[in-house]
Amino acid sequence: MVTVALLAIPYTMVAQDVATSPPPDYVSRAEYDKLRAEHEAMKQELEALKTAVHAMANGTAPVAPAEGPAAKTAASEGKQVVTSVPSQAATDELRQEVDTLKTQVKETFPGSTKFLVAGYGTAGFTARSGEDPFFDASFNALFLWKLSDRLFFEGEMELEFEDNATTINLEVAQASYLLNDYMTIGVGRFLNPMDFFVERQHMNWVNKLPDKPLAVYDGLFPESQLGAQLRGVIPIGPTKLEYVGFVANAPGLITAPEDFSELGMLDFPNTGNFGGHVAVGGHLGFIPIPQLEVGYGIQRSKVGPRDQAVVNVLQSVDFNYVSDSALLKGLINLRAQWGWSHVGDFVYDPDGSQGFGPLEFNNNRNGGYAQLSYRPTHIDNDIIKNFEGVFRYDRLNQLHTPVGFDEQRWTLGLNYWLTPSTVIKAAYEFDDKNGGARDQDAFMMQVAVGF
Amino acid sequence: MKEIVSRICKWIDLPGAVIIISCAALTWLIGCASNKKSGELAGGTTLSAAEKSGAQLWAENCIRCHNIRSPSNYSPAQWDVVMMHMRVRANLTPEEHKKILAFLKAGT
Repeated sequence: MVTVALLAIPYTMVAQDVATSPPPDYVSRAEYDKLRAEHEAMKQELEALKTAVHAMANGTAPVAPAEGPAAKTAASEGKQVVTSVPSQAATDELRQEVDTLKTQVKETFPGSTKFLVAGYGTAGFTARSGEDPFFDASFNALFLWKLSDRLFFEGEMELEFEDNATTINLEVAQASYLLNDYMTIGVGRFLNPMDFFVERQHMNWVNKLPDKPLAVYDGLFPESQLGAQLRGVIPIGPTKLEYVGFVANAPGLITAPEDFSELGMLDFPNTGNFGGHVAVGGHLGFIPIPQLEVGYGIQRSKVGPRDQAVVNVLQSVDFNYVSDSALLKGLINLRAQWGWSHVGDFVYDPDGSQGFGPLEFNNNRNGGYAQLSYRPTHIDNDIIKNFEGVFRYDRLNQLHTPVGFDEQRWTLGLNYWLTPSTVIKAAYEFDDKNGGARDQDAFMMQVAVGF
Repeated sequence: MKEIVSRICKWIDLPGAVIIISCAALTWLIGCASNKKSGELAGGTTLSAAEKSGAQLWAENCIRCHNIRSPSNYSPAQWDVVMMHMRVRANLTPEEHKKILAFLKAGT
């Protein structure tokens, strides 16, 4: 009982203090009046300052603020009061400084045209059975100019170091003009729009393996075209239809090769347009859902000497599915493309002067690839989620041509992504050729950097 | 009919047919699995560009060809040039171009 009484004493004392003294946030009438007077004085002081600053900004003669009761009160309380504005000389000096700064800032502006150097570089190593292993390196510089909201120019230059020599190729030099929201015209040298891999996937930091698939790259189709293209996209509800149509120099026909296996093949960098033919082609791509794109490309022209020209038709179907799957905890990338090349019946070496003719045949070849890759981007581990496994099957059928063999390859690759555009690739390729040709398995490594 | 099928099969060749069928089957399987797991994904596929955010369009369009580049990779002026390039190369609609560019510029 005594203990309870003793414990209750401090609480009783505190309760008495609260009842007799004012609360801590209490302000007396005198304090309130003083604060109010100060507040009014500051308001007047602020108004005076605003007037002075406004006069300075307009370049008019400074007006001395009226020394009203507020200023006097403030001065009597020992506060510093602005009673005059800076002189004309000080204003001029300030104006000069602002002008200098404006000029300096303007000097950093990029101008009305905007320019950017992008591109990619690679360093690689290849050990192919039956050949000496070698290192290689290449650098692709992409020059981009946005000349206006409608006019754009892009140039791509490839510098490659191989076999103790540096080669330079002009891959792209194209001016594009946006005719309207859904139509763009491009003229110059541009990546082959009918070949999806070439136009969208061949860049080394984009391509998942150190080498490129048979048939669709450096095989059945040209890598670039020299001509004009009209392209665009038509949104249809949630889906999109992409289209490209082009006219370009037709390929040349190899009729007198140094290597007999090249007989009847197409000569793609036909810059001089020997034969004077024009190729017409295009590509249609459909995107039914954001993850999927399917397309069809075609090119038709005549090839060969003008008086003996035969028809050439190139066709390609492509399929691309990319899905960031929560269920599979990663990014699935499934791509496939298949192409056909047809060159009509042509009589090679008609007078027998080259020693193998007359020889008449049509050159039909086809091939393509399918590739599946998986990267566990949803795994909560900074190292594992940067690994990517790749499998590719590619094939080129040309047994019934002067080449004389079909080739198919199975390639397994493992990539490690250092950044979204920097990758280290390692792959092993199982090669299988029929028709008596020698299989050439290969181990390849490559570092690719996109910038 | 049989002749047409036979002609198509001959035209696309056996490896071509295997690749087409495999791709279609895999896409269907992955698509079904993803849609079952994530209702958001299924919903996202039926929206038009006007109804999607810049971030969503950025993720959907860029990843179709390459890894997504961070907005901090380039300055706003540089993104202007890059996006003009991509508008032409990747066939972006004006709506997609505008929204993605605004998103990238805001993120730099």
